[in-house]
Amino acid sequence: MLKRATGEQWIALGVILISLIMAWQITGISQSTGYAGVGPRFFPSVIAAGLLITGVILFIQSRPSKHPVTEAQTQDPDHPLDYETPQPNWRMFGIASAALILHMSLISTIGFTLAGTILCFGICLALETEHKLRDLVLSFLLALGLFHLFKWLGLNLPALITGGFI
Amino acid sequence: MDGLHDLFTVGFATALTYQNLLWALIGCTLGTAIGVLPGVGPAVTVALLLPVTQSIDPTGALIMLAGVYYGAMFGGSTTSILLNTPGEAGSIVSALEGNKMAKAGRGGPALSTAAIGSFIAGSIATLLLTLLAPIIASLTLKLGPVEMFALMMLTFAAVSAVLGNSPLKGVISLLIGLGIGLIGIEQQSGQARFTFGSAALLDGIDIVVIAMGLFAIGETLYTATYENHLKARVESLSGRFWMSKEDWKRSWKPWLRGTAIGFPFGTIPAGGTEMPTFLSYSAERKLAPPEVQKEFGKGAIEGVAGPEAANNAAVTGTLIPLLTLGIPTSATAAIMLAAFQQYNIAPGPLLFDTNPDLVWGLIASLYIGNVMLLILNLPLVGLWVQLLKVPRPLLYGGIVVLATMGAYALRQNWFDLLLLYIVGLMGFLMRRYEFPVVPLIVGLIVGPMAEKFFRRAMSIHQGDLTVFLTQPISLTLLIITLAILIVPSYLKRRQNYLTKA
Repeated sequence: MLKRATGEQWIALGVILISLIMAWQITGISQSTGYAGVGPRFFPSVIAAGLLITGVILFIQSRPSKHPVTEAQTQDPDHPLDYETPQPNWRMFGIASAALILHMSLISTIGFTLAGTILCFGICLALETEHKLRDLVLSFLLALGLFHLFKWLGLNLPALITGGFI
Repeated sequence: MDGLHDLFTVGFATALTYQNLLWALIGCTLGTAIGVLPGVGPAVTVALLLPVTQSIDPTGALIMLAGVYYGAMFGGSTTSILLNTPGEAGSIVSALEGNKMAKAGRGGPALSTAAIGSFIAGSIATLLLTLLAPIIASLTLKLGPVEMFALMMLTFAAVSAVLGNSPLKGVISLLIGLGIGLIGIEQQSGQARFTFGSAALLDGIDIVVIAMGLFAIGETLYTATYENHLKARVESLSGRFWMSKEDWKRSWKPWLRGTAIGFPFGTIPAGGTEMPTFLSYSAERKLAPPEVQKEFGKGAIEGVAGPEAANNAAVTGTLIPLLTLGIPTSATAAIMLAAFQQYNIAPGPLLFDTNPDLVWGLIASLYIGNVMLLILNLPLVGLWVQLLKVPRPLLYGGIVVLATMGAYALRQNWFDLLLLYIVGLMGFLMRRYEFPVVPLIVGLIVGPMAEKFFRRAMSIHQGDLTVFLTQPISLTLLIITLAILIVPSYLKRRQNYLTKA
């Protein structure tokens, strides 16, 4: 009977995929005669092989258990039985991700202060803040303060108006 | 007693200049402040400050980072006692008893025993470091590339198999770290590896991006997705603040025992402060007289005093392999090593000869930092408690802004922000599926060094791979490595078998 793959199995597949991408990239490294036969391909090959093997083992180990009873027995004593993975809230994950992506795509055009404000406020929203206006204002002040602190320290961050206040 | 001589002639002369005292004070203050913030550990704090230190001279910068490292430990205990959300692995145990004490109105004595215990353990451990480091450095001077490579293998095995609950996941995390460490121009042949044709990847991925992504971004994504409903309550500091005579009587032995347990653990590559703090806790529990034993789980002061001392002693202990071998055994030590590399300084046995003022100045500053931290954390503790009242959304927002800034400031390239986000997603998944992060960081930093030593060993011995098995030191190290990887899973299987039978 085919069962749905567990989350851990997807991770295992990801690990295997990474090892295959590495193997494909290794073929692009020219095998210059490193002295004593150890060229720049050797270490990458060992690591790619290691990832492939451990990925396969993880995939096999994390098969969905056929006997639900044994699952309770193999529970780690450090994690009592009442330990359950909480329900994910993907909407909040999306808001946090959107804030990060907006920030990276806008920082060079609208400057550090405004992009930082968007980012900080976006994270506040993702963490279900109850005081939106207050957090928006504080986000702006934080970004502005950091911008000037770093300007003072000699680290120039992009500004909206070159050399300007924000 | 060469160590003491160098400490007083070179070390304190360097550390007591007013600039370096100022760097130590800034480091300790920042470290405590950021360490108090829940969810932010010493590794993130040190990584956050790496870009800032680029414009400071190496000695001052490392003194400041060491202060941050120490300060974050002190600050972390305040959080775990008053908020019950430990910022780092080492303070999980102090949260057990400390938070119970705070709930019972004994928060003050809990904080005091943690701070004084940390101070005593830190000072004793620094003294041991002073005495032992030069001796160990002169011993390790005799280690060739073969032994160094074997030692790095041992470190890899220890950090991946000992920490966390699944050695397999630890090894995967290590291999990913090693793989990321390969990205960029390979030093000996000048070839680009795993750059996918991108010029931005030629220099490799910076440790700041990795540390920020895993700890700050990954943690924030995880909290937003899974932990929004969690509401932690800050215990108020009511009642008597100072320790009573009885508290002192019950604390001093655990402090010393904790130091004795913690320091050796720090020096061996078994990574981190988790094990010694747990060991100290269970030791105190077993050694306590019956009437005190009943208090355990309800707020026994011994359960705070011992683990806190063990934590600080272990942290100081990690400086021994870092300074004498150049091998980091914890995530924070790995980022400290990156700070050394930033100045083209390679920690290792030669460091004591080539940069005596730096190394002894750093060690001397640990003594000074310990005193500063005791003052910062006892009379001024009320100040830090205010930090705990920062609303969580704003706290995470601020951390993420700082993290992106750290990544962006390196090259002013949005590509680094994209990398940061990708690493953050990886950190999110690792957190969700309980992959330990330390092996990844250690692999990332030590991997390129291991490759270099391996190739050096091969070129000395004409590509003869058996050299790792024929030289006695290397063979011993590799046997221990194998044992670390195999024995725990064997024992677990046996235990499972026995419990089923």
